[in-house]
Amino acid sequence: MNELSGLSWSAAWRVALGLPEAAPQWLIATIGLICIYGLVILPSGWMVAYLDRKLSADFQARVGPNRAGPAGFFQPLADLLKLLQKETVQEWSWREGFWLGVHTMALYSTVAVLPLGSLALLVDTDMSAFLPFWATLVLALGTMLMGFSQGSAPGWFGGVRVAAQALAGAFPALVALLSAGLQAGGFRWSAFAAIQGGSPLHWTAFANPFQFLAMVVFIISGLVLLGIPPLDAGLSIPDLHGGVASSLYGRRLSLFQLGRFYGFFLWSVITVVLFLGGWILPAGLSVSLQEGGDWKWLQLLELVWLLAKTYSLMVILVWVARVNPRSRVDQITDFAWKVLSPFSLFALIGAALCAGWNVWRAGV
Amino acid sequence: MIHEHLQEPEKERLRTDLASWEIGPYHGALPAPMQLQLTLDGEVIVSARVETGFLHRGLEKTFELHLWQSAPAYADHLDPEGSVFGELALCMAVEEIARIDVPERAKRIRVILSELTRVTAHMGYVARIARSVGSDTMVHYVLRDREKVLDLFELLSGARFSVNFLRFGGVQADVTEGFIERVLEVCDLIRFRLKEYNDLLTFNHAFLKRTVGVGIIPHGRVHHYGITGPNARASGHSLDVRKVAPYSGYGRVDFEIPMVTPEYGNEGDIHARFLIRLREIAQSVEILRQEAEAIPKGDFSVGPIDKDFVPPAGEAYSRVESSRGLLGCHVVSDGGRSPRRIQFRPPTFSLLAAIPELVRGVRIEDLPVLLMSLDLGIAEADR
Repeated sequence: MNELSGLSWSAAWRVALGLPEAAPQWLIATIGLICIYGLVILPSGWMVAYLDRKLSADFQARVGPNRAGPAGFFQPLADLLKLLQKETVQEWSWREGFWLGVHTMALYSTVAVLPLGSLALLVDTDMSAFLPFWATLVLALGTMLMGFSQGSAPGWFGGVRVAAQALAGAFPALVALLSAGLQAGGFRWSAFAAIQGGSPLHWTAFANPFQFLAMVVFIISGLVLLGIPPLDAGLSIPDLHGGVASSLYGRRLSLFQLGRFYGFFLWSVITVVLFLGGWILPAGLSVSLQEGGDWKWLQLLELVWLLAKTYSLMVILVWVARVNPRSRVDQITDFAWKVLSPFSLFALIGAALCAGWNVWRAGV
Repeated sequence: MIHEHLQEPEKERLRTDLASWEIGPYHGALPAPMQLQLTLDGEVIVSARVETGFLHRGLEKTFELHLWQSAPAYADHLDPEGSVFGELALCMAVEEIARIDVPERAKRIRVILSELTRVTAHMGYVARIARSVGSDTMVHYVLRDREKVLDLFELLSGARFSVNFLRFGGVQADVTEGFIERVLEVCDLIRFRLKEYNDLLTFNHAFLKRTVGVGIIPHGRVHHYGITGPNARASGHSLDVRKVAPYSGYGRVDFEIPMVTPEYGNEGDIHARFLIRLREIAQSVEILRQEAEAIPKGDFSVGPIDKDFVPPAGEAYSRVESSRGLLGCHVVSDGGRSPRRIQFRPPTFSLLAAIPELVRGVRIEDLPVLLMSLDLGIAEADR
């Protein structure tokens, strides 16, 4: 462990930001949040949106965006600016304020617990791994309320579908999370990092078959929970004109899309941290950088490595979504309750036996 | 009903009784302008009422107001997706009244055009089904290949849709140079692509889950509604005008009528209807290959049809197998400069009658897939 590990989270950030000793904690926290939001989440949204559009265009024998900037790289930005400048004609209602509030809460509350590297952990508590998990449920609640607030049949059906999926996906996801926690011996981000190594052989997913199963269940139930295509029955276009998002436009639509992306991103980051080696650099680079005291390089490389794995995971999921047709909501919830849940319990029991075996062997 | 009570938040409460939902005339779940009045129990449709006529153009009346010469151009608009079938049905009926003997070469060109149209219509069908289940990749693949066939129409007539190419007694012009060779090329391409479609969508697990056992037209109900064409063949009825009453030289072509039988397993459901279209594309390609290779030299028409063309008094009824089923055309001439009466028997009309029975018990998520799978040509039903 490094010399900073004994200090509070704020000290690490203060050193990284180069602030004076006397800087108050709230200031450090605010700057930290803005940094994470502006330098990680928004650019990630840009990157993944661009990769999604360009790669799916490639899969579908199309050209894809190619006008805004080199190879259409600025297309997501152009889209955002276009949405932001749209005139609002809808009247503001308390129902809309409510879903906006819930949505924003879910969006921003988890930024502080986002695990982005050994030094970037703003909050690292015993319950860390659960916080983003509950936040996605809150996001689903906000999405459901948003559907209801539109006062239209598509919004209503979409909202009910979103809620049904979120409930169905939450249980297997939670059990799969427990499996990873069993392996790590706790739910701190740092605990997950401590038991994994840079090489894929030392990732939790490949520790034993049960952990691999837990990872698969965790990813798929995340897709169910968040309603990521092709499991996005709540946003189905052919029958509901886009379901919960059917009457959104302009700024509301951009906020909603950002929320959708953030949920997906969050889930992918957690999957990488729990099962796929997190931010630990390969080839012992983390240790040598820590020993050399190169904190800024360490944090930067960790972040890049973590995001590279996250983007890869997201791109693979987008790929699957592009090939498969959309599933019906009753099939999705059936699948979550009747297939994912038993598998997650099986993985949990297996993971518990493996953990017990490891303890017994260590004792002998 | 849902709509109203959401407008008044203070009256909001959990309601579990039946709800009514009216969709259309323009809605994503509907393949064409029409209206559905649904009664829903949750997401399950309890009953439905269909209303059509939103695309009524007075087409049959229009024939009576114009010269015989211009009739094929209007028949062309009976169904924008299968324009050749409307033209062919009309031309065959008028040729019967006027006792015109169509040259062999013209007949073959007509068959080639019909089968190319069937291929484009079925490819459009596949693309619509793929879109309704949210499989965008398939949509782009199919539409990309359909462009190749539309290129052929453009090469021949200058138009990609509504070719307006058939004339009484033949076709408008001889085939362009290189057309036959390109038909053969496209045949090879499509045969190759069909396997790709099967790999990508036809037997995809999620697609099977959405389509197998949903929206079944039972074998016994096909005659009740008078359903014809691929939809009937998917339910085990083999009727195909090209076989039972060969026209325009279909009798000499060697081809099969694909059919789904009970032994096959999933008779009459969405997947059977989808599959039968793919197999019909394969058969059309076979017909195209035979016709293109055997096309004889000779005249493409008995001569120009000008504004003075008037068939003798009489009436005739012709039948062709369009991409949607049996298309009939009844022509009455009183020896005047305009048709006395021209009436079509479109295959879509019987399907509209079957919708209320078909959608009962179906979830609203399956509604677009089910409606697309029927291949409704509302233009020909409303006329």
